[in-house]
Order: sequence, then structure tokens, then C-alpha cells
Amino acid sequence: MPDRYIPGSVEGLPIQAQNRLRSMMPATGRKGLFTSDLSVNEFLLVREAGFEALGLVVGSSIYHIGWQQPALNQSVELTTLTQAMYHARDLAMTRMEEEADMLKADGIVGVRLEVGRHEWGTHLAEFLAIGTAIRHTNGEHYRSPNGRPFTSDLSGQDFWTLLRAGYRPISLVMGNCVYHVGYQGLGQWLKQIGQNCEMPTFTQALYDAREHALARMQVEASALGAEGIIGAQVTEKSHGWGSHVLEYFAIGTAIMPTRADHTIPTPQLVLPLSDRMEM
Amino acid sequence: MLPKTRREIFTSGLSIKELLQLKDAGFEPLGLTIGASVFQIGFQNLKAIEHIELPALTQAMYQARNLSLARMIARAGELGADGIVGLTLSSAIKPWGDGTGEFTAVGTAVRHSIPGSYLTPKGRPFTTALNGDDFWILISSGSRPLSYVIGNCVYQISFQPPKSPTLQAIQNVEMLTHSRAVGDGRELALARMRAEGEYYGGDGIIGASVTESSYGWNTHMVEYFASGSSISALQNPEAR
Repeated sequence: MPDRYIPGSVEGLPIQAQNRLRSMMPATGRKGLFTSDLSVNEFLLVREAGFEALGLVVGSSIYHIGWQQPALNQSVELTTLTQAMYHARDLAMTRMEEEADMLKADGIVGVRLEVGRHEWGTHLAEFLAIGTAIRHTNGEHYRSPNGRPFTSDLSGQDFWTLLRAGYRPISLVMGNCVYHVGYQGLGQWLKQIGQNCEMPTFTQALYDAREHALARMQVEASALGAEGIIGAQVTEKSHGWGSHVLEYFAIGTAIMPTRADHTIPTPQLVLPLSDRMEM
Repeated sequence: MLPKTRREIFTSGLSIKELLQLKDAGFEPLGLTIGASVFQIGFQNLKAIEHIELPALTQAMYQARNLSLARMIARAGELGADGIVGLTLSSAIKPWGDGTGEFTAVGTAVRHSIPGSYLTPKGRPFTTALNGDDFWILISSGSRPLSYVIGNCVYQISFQPPKSPTLQAIQNVEMLTHSRAVGDGRELALARMRAEGEYYGGDGIIGASVTESSYGWNTHMVEYFASGSSISALQNPEAR
């Protein structure tokens, strides 16, 4: 898919976003009031890591999710839907990055990517990306190799730990796959009626779909020159397509070492006083 | 509840840990303070064919929240508080018809051992959504909370079906005008929250969130509500 990110472009941003971010641009000699969704701990640790919070950045895309009709007994990927769901998320992420660009950020931490439905549009889904844009106080370069601000779903605590160990986040990487799980044939159904047994067609379908999503995420990461992906997760959801159409969505943070000779500090034992409830 | 000659008890929603942390930071709890405001959301004439902010409703929702916050702060002021921690602002629709709802602001009023030293530059008690834990960490690290800040925007999303005649049920396309409308609503709420933060002074806002809710109105009206806690550097860290 072509890269939608054009440095300096604000085309995707709503007018009010441009107004808000322009008003946040630090005036000469004065640092503007920042906004962030960081907790106190995150705020302090991000600052300790040498970064300053600049502002809460969001990107959103309302997408009309259509329908693709496969043959009922077929287990196949619905490529149009896969691409649509990917495109919508990519739009939301790119807009969030454009907002970060307007604030001259190095990257965005604590990114959350959500899909929501609204009562006012039955076939519409909103894809929302939100996070806190940060910048290195000494102007060290932290952008991702492709020039975008780095993005990561790591918390402030994880971000600090990662940097301390000599790694840095490059980008959120994602992959998805919308799959139609074929209905079983009548013969198969009759054979298995009342039995406790594996359903090989279903197993195979879910396996395929999950692997596609993971593989695509990995391709994104290797294209960026990452050493690996941390915090990866695969989720499964049916976005109102009925029970036999599922989307697998894989997301994680691609990381790379800051230096070749980095050392990882030895972990220490800490016994916290907090209850398990409070942690 | 105001301690005069004899020592009176305090009420609070604090956990043991939070109580100890507050005391360590030089504060003592005075009492749970509550401010409430029951509102009725009136009617704004809807043309319902365009994406547009509904300023009358935005104002009404903002005023109702502000009233409940102001009442809570006034109550804290009566107790001689320097601030309010663990603030929560909740809304509930009441079954009395016609868009009646209640905003309730609840928090624990606290006073520093040097009374008045933690009032905001505007001379009123500070307010923050941070709990005792976060409050203690913030103070220990040389910052202080200033004010709980809010911003909102009630937005109408058009009833009209998408303009494009070619759009069919099977199509997968972005609805750019919808994206922009929803984006504008959210951005306005965020910008207003930040403007409140600027008004109270301070370095920045942490713990910000922006939520979306319909309050049982018709489904094409959505309120975006942003809130957060503004903080600033501690002027006299040795006072603690």
C-alpha cells in the first residue's frame, strides 16, 4: 500500500485541529501549556528520559464499512474488507502523526487505537488514534527511519525502561486480515453430529487468518529495519458482519537498538507495599 | 466539620495509604466535599442537515458542570481548605423526563500545615483529579496540582445519507465529511480544556481524556467532553 504520510502535510486534519495545534505552538521564548493523557508516573519518567510532553494528539477516520459476499462454504480472506479496515486505521494514525508534526514532536507515546461504532450511522465505524506527542529536550533525533514521528503503544514507564536498556521505539506496526469462515457442508455436519471432535475446517480458517495478520505486521517491522516487535497482540473481532466474518488485527511496537554496544542493566528485586488491587 | 477549639473528626474517601501519603506531603484531610447541579437540557432548533456545533447545548452542559464544581469548591473554602484531591465529576440521567440530569463533583478537601500556601495564583483552593498516591508523587517531584480543567462541545452529526449517489452498501470508503465533523467536535473540546488550563496558569495538563456521550438525546447529537488536571512547578519546594 502506498505511504500516505507526506511530511508537513495537514490535509487530513479538521479545521479545529489546525486551530488548536497552532494555538499550542510555543510562542517565541515562551513554552506553551502542554496537554497530555500521561499519568503522574508517566509524566515524570518521560521527563526523566529527557523528553518533554507537547500535547495530546488525535487522528480519526469515519469509514463506511461495506460488505463482500463470499460463497457460504468457502473459507477465504475478504481482501476488500481487509484493505478497507487497514486503510481506515492508517488514515487515523497518519492524521495523528500529522498533528504531532504540527507540534514539532519527535514521537508519540501511549498510543491507543480504537474502533467505535456510533448510533447515528449503522454502517459507519470510527477509527481513532490518540496519544501524547513528545520531543527530546536536547534535540536528539528520535524519528523513525522513514521520517515519521515514532509511535508506540508503550506506557511512559515502559518507554523509560526501554530507553534505559539501549533500545528505542520506531513505530507501531500493524497487520490485519478479514476472513470468512466457511460453513460446514451437510455431510460433514451429519458425520459430526453429537460428537466431541475437532472441527478442522474452522481450525484451519482461524489459523490462516491469524497468521496472515501476524505476518503482515512482521513485514511492516522488517521494512522499517526493526530488530523486533514488543508488546504484540492479536485480537479478533466481528465488526457487525455476522458470525462467520472475523477480523484478526495484530499490533505491536517495533524497536531497534540505539547503539550497537548497549548494555541492559541488571533487574533488581523490589517488594512493593501496594495491594495487588492497587497495582 | 471546621476544627475550632476542639479537635473534630474528618470524613474522606481516602484509603489508608492515601491518608499517610497526604500527611507525609504536609496535608491533612478536612472532609469530603460535594457539589451538585441538576440540569435540564432544553432544546436547540435543529435543521439536522449539516454537521454543526450546537452552542446553546454546549453552553448549558458546561454551565451545569461548572456550577457543581463551583459549589464543591465553595464548600471546601468554608472548611478552610487549600485544595481538593481525588476529584471526580460524574453525570447521571434522572428519570424525571425532558433531559433532566445531575452533575456531581466529589473530592476530598485538604489543608497544608502552612494554611494558604497551596492556594492557586487566583487565590482559590486547587482542584485535581489525582488520587492521594499520584498527588504525593507529584509533590515529592517538585510539582503541584493547580486546577481540574474541562472543555466540551455538543455536536450534531447530519441525518443526511452520504451525498455521493454512487455509495452503496457494499462500498468501503472513508466518509471524509463525517471524519472532519467528529474531529472538529473532539478538537474543540480539547482546545477549550487547554484554554481553561491557560487561564489558571501552569505548565501543562496531565491525565487528560476525551470522551463521547449522547445522554439519551437523539442519536445524532454527541457531546465531546475533555478533562484533565493542570500542574505547575512548586514555587517554594522547601515549604513542604
